[in-house]
Amino acid sequence: MKKVLLGLVLTVFTVVSVMAQSRTITGKVTSADEPEGIPGVNVQVQGTAVGAITDIDGSYVVEVPQGSNILVFSFVGFTTQNVSIGNRSEVNVILQADVRELSEVVITALGVERNRNELAYSAQEVQGEQITRTRTPNFVDALSGKVAGLDIRSNNTMGGSTNVIIRGYSSITGNNQALFVIDGVPVSNANNNTANQSSGRVGTDFGNAAADLNPDNIESVNVLKGAAATALYGSRAANGVIMITTKKGRKNSLNITVNSGVTWTSIDKSTFARYQKEYGAGYGDEFRTPADLGSGVGPVVRFQDDASFGPAFNPNLMVYQWDAIDPFSPNYGKMTPWVAAENDPSTFYETGLNSNQSINISGGGDETTFNLGYTRNDIKGNLPNSWIDKDQFNFNASYDASERLTVTASANYTRTAGMGRYGTGYNGRNPNQQFRQWWQTNVDLKEQEAAYWRNEQNITWNWNAANSGPIYSDNLYWTRYQNYSNDSRDNFYGFASVNYKVADWLSVMGRASFNTTEDLQEERMAIGSADVSEYTRFNRGFNETNFDLMLSFNKDISSDISFNGLLGSNLRRSRVSSIRASTNGGLVVPGLYSLSNTVSAIEPPTEIFERVGVDGIFANANFGYKEKLFLELSARQDKSTTLPEGNNTYFYPAVAANYVFTEDFTSSWLTHGKIRANYAEVGNDAPALSVFDVYDAVTGFGDKPIFSMPSTRNNNELIPERQKSIEAGVELDFFNSLFGFDVTWYRSNTINQIIPVNTSAATGYTRRFVNAGEVQNHGIEVSAFVTPIQTQDFTWTMNVNFSRNRNEVISLYGEGENKVENVPLASFQGGVSVNAAVGQPYGVLRGTDFIYFDEAKTQKVVNSSGYYMATGRSDEIIGDPNPDWIGGVNNTFSYKGFNLGFLIDIRKGGDVFSLDQWYGEGTGLYPETAGLNDKGNPVRSPVEEGGGILLPGVKEDGSPNDIYAGNYNGNGNTAFGYAANGANGTPRAMYVYDGSFVKLREVALSYSLPQSIVGDWGVVKGVDLQLIGRNLWIIHKNMKYSDPEEGLSSGNAGRGYQSGAYPAVRNYGFNVRFNF
Amino acid sequence: MKKIFIYLVSMVLFASCVDNLDDFNVDQKKASQVPPGTLFTGAVKNLTDVMTTPNVNTNNYRFYVQHWTSTQYLDEPRYNMTSRTIPQNMFQTLYRDVLMDLNDAKRLIQENDLMDPDVKDNQLAQVEMVEVYAWSILLNTFGDVPYSQALNRDISLPAYDDAATVYNDILTRLDAALDRIQLTADGFGNADVLYDSDMAMWVKFGNSLKLKLAMVLADVSPDQAQSLVEEAAPNVFTSNADNAAFPYLSNAPNNNPVSENINPLRTSREDYVPANTLVDAMNELEDPRRARYFTQYNGEYKGGRYGFTNSYSEVSHVHDDIIALDFESLLLDYVEVEFLLAEAVERGFNVGGSAAEHYNAAVTASFDYWGAPGAAAYLAKPAVNYSSASGDWKQKIGKQKWIALYNRGFDAWLEWRRLDAPTLLPPVVEGLDFTVPTRLIYPVNEQTLNGANRNAAADAIGGDQSSTKLWWDTN
Repeated sequence: MKKVLLGLVLTVFTVVSVMAQSRTITGKVTSADEPEGIPGVNVQVQGTAVGAITDIDGSYVVEVPQGSNILVFSFVGFTTQNVSIGNRSEVNVILQADVRELSEVVITALGVERNRNELAYSAQEVQGEQITRTRTPNFVDALSGKVAGLDIRSNNTMGGSTNVIIRGYSSITGNNQALFVIDGVPVSNANNNTANQSSGRVGTDFGNAAADLNPDNIESVNVLKGAAATALYGSRAANGVIMITTKKGRKNSLNITVNSGVTWTSIDKSTFARYQKEYGAGYGDEFRTPADLGSGVGPVVRFQDDASFGPAFNPNLMVYQWDAIDPFSPNYGKMTPWVAAENDPSTFYETGLNSNQSINISGGGDETTFNLGYTRNDIKGNLPNSWIDKDQFNFNASYDASERLTVTASANYTRTAGMGRYGTGYNGRNPNQQFRQWWQTNVDLKEQEAAYWRNEQNITWNWNAANSGPIYSDNLYWTRYQNYSNDSRDNFYGFASVNYKVADWLSVMGRASFNTTEDLQEERMAIGSADVSEYTRFNRGFNETNFDLMLSFNKDISSDISFNGLLGSNLRRSRVSSIRASTNGGLVVPGLYSLSNTVSAIEPPTEIFERVGVDGIFANANFGYKEKLFLELSARQDKSTTLPEGNNTYFYPAVAANYVFTEDFTSSWLTHGKIRANYAEVGNDAPALSVFDVYDAVTGFGDKPIFSMPSTRNNNELIPERQKSIEAGVELDFFNSLFGFDVTWYRSNTINQIIPVNTSAATGYTRRFVNAGEVQNHGIEVSAFVTPIQTQDFTWTMNVNFSRNRNEVISLYGEGENKVENVPLASFQGGVSVNAAVGQPYGVLRGTDFIYFDEAKTQKVVNSSGYYMATGRSDEIIGDPNPDWIGGVNNTFSYKGFNLGFLIDIRKGGDVFSLDQWYGEGTGLYPETAGLNDKGNPVRSPVEEGGGILLPGVKEDGSPNDIYAGNYNGNGNTAFGYAANGANGTPRAMYVYDGSFVKLREVALSYSLPQSIVGDWGVVKGVDLQLIGRNLWIIHKNMKYSDPEEGLSSGNAGRGYQSGAYPAVRNYGFNVRFNF
Repeated sequence: MKKIFIYLVSMVLFASCVDNLDDFNVDQKKASQVPPGTLFTGAVKNLTDVMTTPNVNTNNYRFYVQHWTSTQYLDEPRYNMTSRTIPQNMFQTLYRDVLMDLNDAKRLIQENDLMDPDVKDNQLAQVEMVEVYAWSILLNTFGDVPYSQALNRDISLPAYDDAATVYNDILTRLDAALDRIQLTADGFGNADVLYDSDMAMWVKFGNSLKLKLAMVLADVSPDQAQSLVEEAAPNVFTSNADNAAFPYLSNAPNNNPVSENINPLRTSREDYVPANTLVDAMNELEDPRRARYFTQYNGEYKGGRYGFTNSYSEVSHVHDDIIALDFESLLLDYVEVEFLLAEAVERGFNVGGSAAEHYNAAVTASFDYWGAPGAAAYLAKPAVNYSSASGDWKQKIGKQKWIALYNRGFDAWLEWRRLDAPTLLPPVVEGLDFTVPTRLIYPVNEQTLNGANRNAAADAIGGDQSSTKLWWDTN
């Protein structure tokens, strides 16, 4: 493995030789395993930017400025050594192997570099190569399974949003997403999807802003999990931080990397609906009244019935189908055989493409370094007419203006343009609403496609009564090509900083950083659609500016006691300004999408203008004793404008300690051991504009203006919320890094939460901001590595991540008689809600449950007609969307230049209610709703004719069920889903599934051309070839026809509920990388 | 060195000194002060919308009285109240979007010391009458509801009050509002969509409302009902011109909610058709109003089978006039006033005239309102004529009132519960047992948001069932 690492380093870094003023130090770096020398070791003059890299022989030359006397030798896999030069001119060093990847320098909060040994909190790093391994356009998705305690939930929509949760949900209604920080600059990961979108109603998933970050520009990602690690970032970091370090140039070098990757995507049919092929359109076993539509009187399909509980297929029966109405169809006015469709809806999905081309140039001179990158990413989605283009530019540079003064700047720009993003939820723009819920199994998708393309008209299978247009469902090709959305986002982030070394123990840094995004989203509903034609436009501008001033010092108290720290201040100003407007009453001119093209005057647009200012001061002090005992103290005070005056200042401390006990107790088998513990508090402010009450403006009635009391009651007595967390862990490394692990236990309690709780409408409000509630998360995280085989040519290493979080809502608000026991987070279609309930895990699903005969809840009771009985109340807890545990197993095999890696991603537990099954079984789409019963008769035949279905369970008296339930919808009675039991539906609990899965998430086979070949190519220093695959195989799941990972959106209510779920997408292709 | 250090430290700390950012907390896009009339207009519109809409998520009363039925989706005609949050939508609209806005309008008016006291009295009276109207809907829908502790920003879990007690209180408030009216002064002016601030009309409206609300108590406390009815009767509506009609506009979102759910300009859905129960009854009487209520199918009026699936293309539809974007909606009308007076006579209350006279006036006014010809001939039919029509007075009035209250689902449902006529049978489906609702169940989210109070109320009214009868529904 080390050899591989060395090889990699060699191809990336070139030999550096530094020419300069002061004294020249040379030397050689070796280790016990590598007596001939270790190439690629970073040799840094402590406290300066001056440094060098060892060459192929492990030799180095470094110019040490006057006043400096310590060289820092660091390299992945070895203990960093600080070596005093004294008056030597040659410094040879023997590095000690250390816990692999647990010992290197890590970037911590505010960009402070720390030796991992000194850290007293859990932080897990993922290298850039691990992130770009399968060329995922959104780098966040590539973190799944790679970090213990990090729960990534990506959706299957093209460029869709991804949920990033560290150590569970802690805020009841606030933001639970991790904070993204790039090179010390917090950047937006806003999800601008509408509230309707995230609660499963009409919407389009436009993704979140983290997708704008260029994966090829990432050097490493460090996940800071607990409050002790993140406290210096202030309140926003309470949910953990994804710290991204971008690639930097090296002095006196030039490196050019060109990367070209292409992957193809196709849907995983095991996550899509399968259809019964016995019965066609209708809610009941009948056609429409026979009519003459052109070739004589014949049965007419019930076009309006968006269900497949109709007459049995019969190839000898000729009927008028939807295309008999279409004057341009070859079947116009003709009867066609009554058979199941040849091309079912899965044929709607196309093969997608993801092309990723990037170039990165980095290097530097004596006093400068720079890195310049450009990436072009073209994504073609799996739905017709969908694509995303991304152009990503990155630049950073630093310049040592003098020995004491270094200036650094970074500028990054991403332009994303999207077309035909996927409609989600219960929405005509989501094709899965038809495919999974309301469909006729006789409709051939390819014929629908042909019908659209003949004249680009909305020729639907779902004609209205007058056969003049669609009643509910449009032709989906019409939907994709006419009712499409488009969007763009310009995302800029960057900073300029000045670092001045006042003395060799003291430096001051000033930094101004900026992030701004401009979003445009346009949505269309064309004239001729089932819905009223409409054009909606959303413009949103966001910017955030941070000014940091930081004083860092490093002054050892004695030779045994080190002391360093910082004192700083941060001014943050952010602003959101957005406007959303729609046409009113339809469009006048077809195909013109403009707000002026409106039938009636447009309603007043929704304008939002929010500003937030937070000023913080912070301090941090680190004490070290003999490189084995460390103590870190931090504190921060923030003053936020979102809180009422008087309550707007809050202070929070953190303390952390660790002990590297292998410094005191050495053993042959235990190479490295450390225990750590910390306690931290973090304060948090309120969402903007939640203090003072205002009125809502409503569209006036003619010339009469209307205002209305808001539905949310604000609160001018809010106080800051607070998270208190405690964490302890142990890191062990055995047999010189043959195997090792890191175990962390944590508990965090978030109290005084600022939540807009739902309240009884009888209060006059449906929500009110209160300070209340406590949520606790506790759990363990384990990350382990083992190298089962290591020979000269072959190495097998395995990394395992496991985390188990337990979450409980301890309290909500109110006391005594007024105690509130439940806060609904979202109420979904189907009578299912997601809730924060006292004593329960966050986000439990409520709905009607089965009635059980026994306490153990094994015997479901059926009524006198054989249908499952449901509880009278729909607030029974029927599911918990929180997984029992999540984990990832990453294997890497290397043999000479070959490297095979694969990642298995596992989630155990986590319940999901499927509206798709609830409706789709009720409308008779799925095989479960047809076939024969145990008497050998069709389940859809009348019970009196021996049909019906015998549901497993007991009768009300406890005896085994022997009542066949009618399963034909003509009178509103199926045995399934929404239509069962006289339209009261089956218990919702019947459609709650276990969301466990085991997925082969990533496979990558790479081959680096050996130096023996590349060496002859002149400028080319290295070539890597890769075959890659992502989401190739779902090894195990319990949801029959969908991907258990699929949710609605990112956000608090976006999990545990599926409606119009998109199938999982497989990704496979190749990648070539050249180094020059 | 030390000096530099101290200087740097103070610079770092100084940098964080917050300037005055208090206005960051002020929403620059929303009003913190509004004229009370704007709240009044909005509340009246929201009230009318919720009473008018046929949207199955909110208002299914047209189904309950079998004026309409659905084509494909049977949940609501079969009285399911939980697969959609129907009671919740009704409850929420009335409390949050009607009563809360009225409540705040009242606060703003009362706090305004610079206002003409007469105008102030009139505005308060207008607010109060609409509030009484809204409260009566809540009480007559659910029974016990939060009242004394409702709409109070300091009480997050309002207790439910006894419906009969609250009902008496709103009747008292209605009297007080009537007493406040100053006929010579203005009220809300242009903000009054119903009567354009004609206070004489508000006197009629208040008295007609009083007549209607009092009659609800006629079975349970006849003496109280009698005195209230007799007080109100001299000042009630005297023609259709007096109707409390909300004049919807043709532009969304101010179009009639019926059009929003049926008119092809606003929706492609074909969910609602007239039910056979009403159509057959009117066919039997050859009622000329059919031509105004329904379209024809194959030269006849054919209703959809109530509670079963129906082919939209094979039955009559709701008349084009009713689904027009700007079709007006009635909150209270002269027709029902005359029916109430007929009933008052039958109950022996002293309101003048005979039951037949009022009955005839009611039917005639209904014909006039709908523009249907031949009221006299219709009234002459033995099956219609008050002297010869079958049944007791409740059945005679009940049947004609049920027909006349077409497109006013809630009121038709209220009168059906009160008069117990006509007979409405739930759909008969083997293995299933349906009962026509006599109330809405409490919103499901009251179970989770206000559970203890809701449970106490459920016990107090005899169970939170849709078949529970309200306190005045004693027959």
